[in-house]
Amino acid sequence: MMTPPTPSRRVRALGALALAGSLALTGCTAGGGTSAALDGTQLLQIPREDMATFTRNFNPFSPNAAPMTQQAIYEPMLVFNPNDGTTTPWLAKEWTAAPDGTSITFTVRDGVQWSDGEPFTAADVAFTFELQKEVAGGYEYLDSVTAEDESTVTFTFTTPFAPALYELGRQVIVPKHIWEGIADAALETNETPVGTGPYTEVISFQSQAFSLGKNPSYWQPDRQQIEGVQMLAFAGNDPANLATTNGETDWADQFIPDIENAFVAEDPDNRHFWFPSTDGVINWQLNTTKPPFDDVRVRKALSMAIDRESITEVAMQGYTHPADCTGLSDGYDAWRDDAVAGGCDWTDRDVEGANAILDEAGYALGADGKRTMPDGSPLTFDISVGATSSDWLSAANIIDQNLDDVGIDAQVNAPDWSAVVAGYEDGSFDTGIVWSNMEPTPYQFYRGVMSTETVKPVGEQATQNYHRFGLPEADALLAQFAASADEASQSEAIDQLQALYAENAPVVPLFPGPRWGAFNTTRFTGFPTEDNPYATLSTRSATTVLVLTTLEPVVSE
Amino acid sequence: MRFVLRRLGFYLVAFWVSVTLNFLLPRFMPGDPVSRMLSQSQGRMTPEQIDQMRVLFGLDQRPIWQQYISYWQSIFTGDMGVSISRFPTPVTEVIASQIGWTILLGATALLIAVVIGNLLGILAAWRRGGALDSVLPPVLVFIGSFPYFWLAMGALYLFGVTLGWFPLRHAFSAGLTPSWSPEFIGDVAAHLFLPAATIVLVSIGGWMLGMRNTMIATNSEDYIVMAEAKGLRPSRVMLRYAARNATLPAVTSFGMAIGFVVGGALLTEVVFAYPGVGYQLLGAVSALDYPLMQGIFLTITAAVLMANFLVDIVYVRLDPRVRVS
Repeated sequence: MMTPPTPSRRVRALGALALAGSLALTGCTAGGGTSAALDGTQLLQIPREDMATFTRNFNPFSPNAAPMTQQAIYEPMLVFNPNDGTTTPWLAKEWTAAPDGTSITFTVRDGVQWSDGEPFTAADVAFTFELQKEVAGGYEYLDSVTAEDESTVTFTFTTPFAPALYELGRQVIVPKHIWEGIADAALETNETPVGTGPYTEVISFQSQAFSLGKNPSYWQPDRQQIEGVQMLAFAGNDPANLATTNGETDWADQFIPDIENAFVAEDPDNRHFWFPSTDGVINWQLNTTKPPFDDVRVRKALSMAIDRESITEVAMQGYTHPADCTGLSDGYDAWRDDAVAGGCDWTDRDVEGANAILDEAGYALGADGKRTMPDGSPLTFDISVGATSSDWLSAANIIDQNLDDVGIDAQVNAPDWSAVVAGYEDGSFDTGIVWSNMEPTPYQFYRGVMSTETVKPVGEQATQNYHRFGLPEADALLAQFAASADEASQSEAIDQLQALYAENAPVVPLFPGPRWGAFNTTRFTGFPTEDNPYATLSTRSATTVLVLTTLEPVVSE
Repeated sequence: MRFVLRRLGFYLVAFWVSVTLNFLLPRFMPGDPVSRMLSQSQGRMTPEQIDQMRVLFGLDQRPIWQQYISYWQSIFTGDMGVSISRFPTPVTEVIASQIGWTILLGATALLIAVVIGNLLGILAAWRRGGALDSVLPPVLVFIGSFPYFWLAMGALYLFGVTLGWFPLRHAFSAGLTPSWSPEFIGDVAAHLFLPAATIVLVSIGGWMLGMRNTMIATNSEDYIVMAEAKGLRPSRVMLRYAARNATLPAVTSFGMAIGFVVGGALLTEVVFAYPGVGYQLLGAVSALDYPLMQGIFLTITAAVLMANFLVDIVYVRLDPRVRVS
């Protein structure tokens, strides 16, 4: 179904026809649909730089579902905002965790309807989890999911697992009455989705642009202030940035280099960006199965040798700041133990100190100014990083230069990312730049950097803890966290994990990852900002639905 | 007929070799599709999700010779499987949705470049040393030697952003529904102009020079002197006697070029955000999407071989000497 074209579209198309027909060297105006009069029915324009074309697949279980499937069409039970650490009840209005941490009961919101008018109930929630486990596995700790009545659903676990609240809460819920009739949910493309989200109706779907309109039975009709969302496909950052800097998109989260000049300077009143450093910490990981990286003194000395200030200023263009020795991102500020963060110095640049530690540890400086291993072989290694990540590549080059100051000859090795990751996975790499887990609590982060459970032997495929470092003490603290239902004992466990991390330096933290995001208030207002951080500026994360239900269209006189 | 059969046999062997290469080459690349996705998501995916995807995709873990046999079966049944990078859309559907735009862009640009390039070549050789002959070849070669990416970006900024004459992206305006209405066709034409024009600009020099050089050789043939001596009109001598014989090499190159149209124009697609097979192939390779890669390679292979075969046949018609030998 098509809505009638807006006047701007018709005028533009007719213009194109007339001009193309006369073979004149002309066509549409460059401004696209954004320069027309605003009547409040304009669609929110969002680019996707990583999809040259869209495929009509709104299956939320598919990793390649069309954009907005998990954001505007289907909704989770709760939304966690990493910028301010708050949790917004969404399809669930409240929840209680059992004191022993072995179960959680959610009470779902009353009066929520699917976009086809059917009521949403606890049975849909229970069905979704069964289907998710059947289609793709996961939730190994989940013992059973039971819909007690219309509005109560109880999850029981095989072991106490406190982080389950957020993992269960972020799963988007699908309608039982539709999906129980689908033979193979993994292969379903779900072209006409039925969801509880604010924008569920597919107005038009073309391979390079599609638009979603209002859900007619949304449970918060007063928050559907914008008419709909239009997604635009681009084959890379450059063309997407061209559209964004040209003012044709309202909200974009691809990386825009030199954003102050390229984007904001054109119209500083309306154009803004916000890059909070709340994403996962970017680490320099050292393969602890290989000497000398099994020696904590070496790990700390290497960390002291590098100049994080110039990495963040030069490689990251000043959009983030150096990490501290808790290894935690700004997204975990509420958990950070300032005593630990302020009480250690191995994340501060100290070339002399690093040299002293290396001398003492037996990595002697040779006559040529290069250090050797205790057995006399030269101390040298590769720093792996994917060639396409120009910012991280530049960080690796700075590390390489810094290491010269302590007499270590490293080489930056930058093939294609997949070759790099293949080396990380089987444990054959020396050192490399790597991302880390970013979840609502630091549990998964610390589990991924120093739990023995995540350590795979070299040669076996790992999906985290590539540096293969584990401590039994960390396992005990993680178990303590998982078993504690109250925040006080959780945060006690996290404090001890921070101290353990600071003591052992399992990886070398570089900087917390910035979350990119830019917006233009010419056509829509109400985007999250540093002063009002109610969501992230990502167009593809769990908080996107908070933005979609907050934005207001600009109506011109 | 024996000639045709012999050629056909040759093409079957060529087909087998290229299909086998299509099968083997992707499998020499490191990693598997899921770890590729992981490296592209840069940590946005949790380790649990990664394990879930391995289950979801049901990746083929059989020995490679068994995969090879079922690969041949899939070629003959036309069932190319399900794309991994666009799971669960079938490969045939992914290719079908893009190939039309690729052919439209490629064929338009190729036809314009061939027709204009050859005509210019004919004229330049006919008036050898004239204004056209001394100015155009160096200019076109100069433009053709620009990096295409730079030229296309420059054209996009100048005509799209600064002057605003052309749309900046996509095959048609967002919100339009494809139809045969004049409005839609006009929109498509406006969107096609810049991408096609930049391809024509960089490729036309080659066609013109090729034609000019063969034409000069043909012009010194005895039958041209003979035709002129008979008092035929110069235009008739130029087109029917000289140009007709000089087109033979151009026909060969044209046939090859038709085949490669199907491979898509990667850089054009990236700069102008134009839909097409080229970017899809790049995406499939970087995601290690074996089924989609094989599907696209197979399409290209088949198109190139078919175009060559057609040229061979046409050549027999055009050049009687091939028939005799």
